[in-house]
Amino acid sequence: MTAGEAARKVATNPVRVLGRSTLGAVRMVGSVGVFAVRGVTAALTPPWFFGQLMRQFVAIGFFSLPVVGLTAIFTGAALALNIFTGGGRFNAEQVMPQIVALGITRELGPVLASLMLAGRVSAAIAAEIGAMRATEQIDAMRTLSTDPFRYLVGPRLLAGVLMMPLLAAVADTIGIAGGWLVATRVLDFSSAVYIRNTLDFLQGWDIGSGLVKAAVFGFIVALMGCYHGYNAKGGARGVGRATTHAVVSSAILIFASDYLLTTLFTHAAQ
Amino acid sequence: MGVVVLALAAGFLTYSLSVGGVHMKRGNYEIAAKFGEAGSLAPGAAVSVAGVKVGTVSEITLEPKTFLAVAKLSIDPTVKLPSDSTAKITSDGILGGAHVSIAPGAAMDDIKPGGQIENTQGAVDLFGLIGSVIRPQGGGSDAAAPAAAPAPAASQPAVSY
Amino acid sequence: MTDAIPKLAWKGVSKRFEGRPVLDGLDLSVAPGRSLVIIGGSGQGKSVTIKTALGLMRPDAGKIELDGKNTVNLSESARRKLFSRVGVLFQGAALFDSLTVWENIAFRLINADGVPRKEAKERAIEALEQVRLAPDVADRFPSELSGGMQKRAGLARAVVAQPEILFFDEPTTGLDPITAAAINELISNQVRRLGSTAVSITHDLASAQTIGDEIAMLHGGKIIWRGPAAELRTTDNPYVRQFVEGRADGPISHAV
Repeated sequence: MTAGEAARKVATNPVRVLGRSTLGAVRMVGSVGVFAVRGVTAALTPPWFFGQLMRQFVAIGFFSLPVVGLTAIFTGAALALNIFTGGGRFNAEQVMPQIVALGITRELGPVLASLMLAGRVSAAIAAEIGAMRATEQIDAMRTLSTDPFRYLVGPRLLAGVLMMPLLAAVADTIGIAGGWLVATRVLDFSSAVYIRNTLDFLQGWDIGSGLVKAAVFGFIVALMGCYHGYNAKGGARGVGRATTHAVVSSAILIFASDYLLTTLFTHAAQ
Repeated sequence: MGVVVLALAAGFLTYSLSVGGVHMKRGNYEIAAKFGEAGSLAPGAAVSVAGVKVGTVSEITLEPKTFLAVAKLSIDPTVKLPSDSTAKITSDGILGGAHVSIAPGAAMDDIKPGGQIENTQGAVDLFGLIGSVIRPQGGGSDAAAPAAAPAPAASQPAVSY
Repeated sequence: MTDAIPKLAWKGVSKRFEGRPVLDGLDLSVAPGRSLVIIGGSGQGKSVTIKTALGLMRPDAGKIELDGKNTVNLSESARRKLFSRVGVLFQGAALFDSLTVWENIAFRLINADGVPRKEAKERAIEALEQVRLAPDVADRFPSELSGGMQKRAGLARAVVAQPEILFFDEPTTGLDPITAAAINELISNQVRRLGSTAVSITHDLASAQTIGDEIAMLHGGKIIWRGPAAELRTTDNPYVRQFVEGRADGPISHAV
């Protein structure tokens, strides 16, 4: 419906619209839940399609490296400058390496890498599977006695969960390198001091919690791409809609779960 | 392109680990040092000689009978410490982390693996010191005292056990 | 009509989409080894008929019987076994874009039957010959083929495992008359060679008469006429007459 029609609908009967959209949201959560269970079952039980799995590792993991690397290095550099400025207000510029490292490993590395993948990978998955749905390829696959959840969804979910922490680790390293570059070239830090401070300060769980988050985010990205693509309706426009929904829902879920996980990890540490 | 990114990451990581002095933890030998006050020293903190990192603090426990903080130090095998070296808990600045600084002695024999550093100096309670100086004792010294207090804790005269 | 159990039967099948009834108590059956063509106007539910038979869609009511056994409520694994007896040529051929032609044709063999790749490729190339495609097509990708060639590849994929039942969804739609005639001939050859039962849907009458032993017309969610292919043009049924003669007005009125 058009924006005008939607506005008129809300104005005339807000309660009904609210009720409908709540039910719709609940139904969607249920539908995604069922899809996720089927996908996870397909991913974790034999038979597996190793060829497909390898292809997805490369597509989701390896080909995302450039985007993740670029994101990380610029973020790390900018963060270093900002933390340096902030630290300067307490005469504590010297803690910049530690704070930058903490921010990157716990938060920015996993979250930003996942967001870039939400845009790149989730959209690609939704478009590919959506196009397959629109051209009856998914129906064809079923008639060829092959479960689309095992052939298409499972490998992508596994690749998301396994590749994302690796990408986050790369993002962490390159992000800290970005901070190091700025610190040593622009802010007159000594390279050895910067690195020693970073390494001495970082705890295993700083990096570990970031990697756990990344695994969850990777699952979200793959799940949203598969779900929206699989359920795309209505030809080319449907595929376009599926792609958009996949990206937006991935991003929102990443932010929400990031908050939940961070809260969880913070409380658990106390 | 992906290969470039991986290479850069691996390169930086290797460089960091070598500069940071985190070589193979295997081969390190352990010695102990007992302190009256551990302060904010925590496992993983650096152990350094003349400002160069030579190992890490692997464990800090409380000795039940003497109530001393026992710190286990994991030292690089190529570094031998004279048996009369002194271990001091110090920090880089007000906001720097606590670490162990070892001042080597002049003895002929070295501390063996499993041995102990006899001379130690515990962490200084900086804020306690500031507090005791600021607390009303005499008016005149107040202005001078806060200026002296923020000096690095390492140079404060401290009681050793 | 014999007393033997039909190979495939729809009994009282109904299906609604968004409140609109598409199939309304459909009753139809195909004897083993026979070729049935379902004709009807666009949007009359022909695709739905095939999809419910395959189990790609669940009917709201009624039964689908394969060799006399109801298949509506089959579990996923039982349905996968059912699929191994079936071959389908979809409307756009529905080839997998990321796989080569031979990998498409051999898809079932490699992924469901565990046939080694080398053997599967040989069988795929044999199938290519059956549909008169040159062996060098095997390593091309579907996007490099013309529409007619894609349909042939899709046909090869459907017949490579020698299924008992073949389904053809609008096999000649979108093809020029010459290519369409070639496809029709290929289809009837393959059906005859395999001795399979065949169900096709089309609105191409020439196709219907070439590939079908019997023709049934679907209108208003039901079968309103059924007879041997030869009677298509001679019957008195007004709906069939309008369809055959291609008149805009008559008992079939379309919401345009």
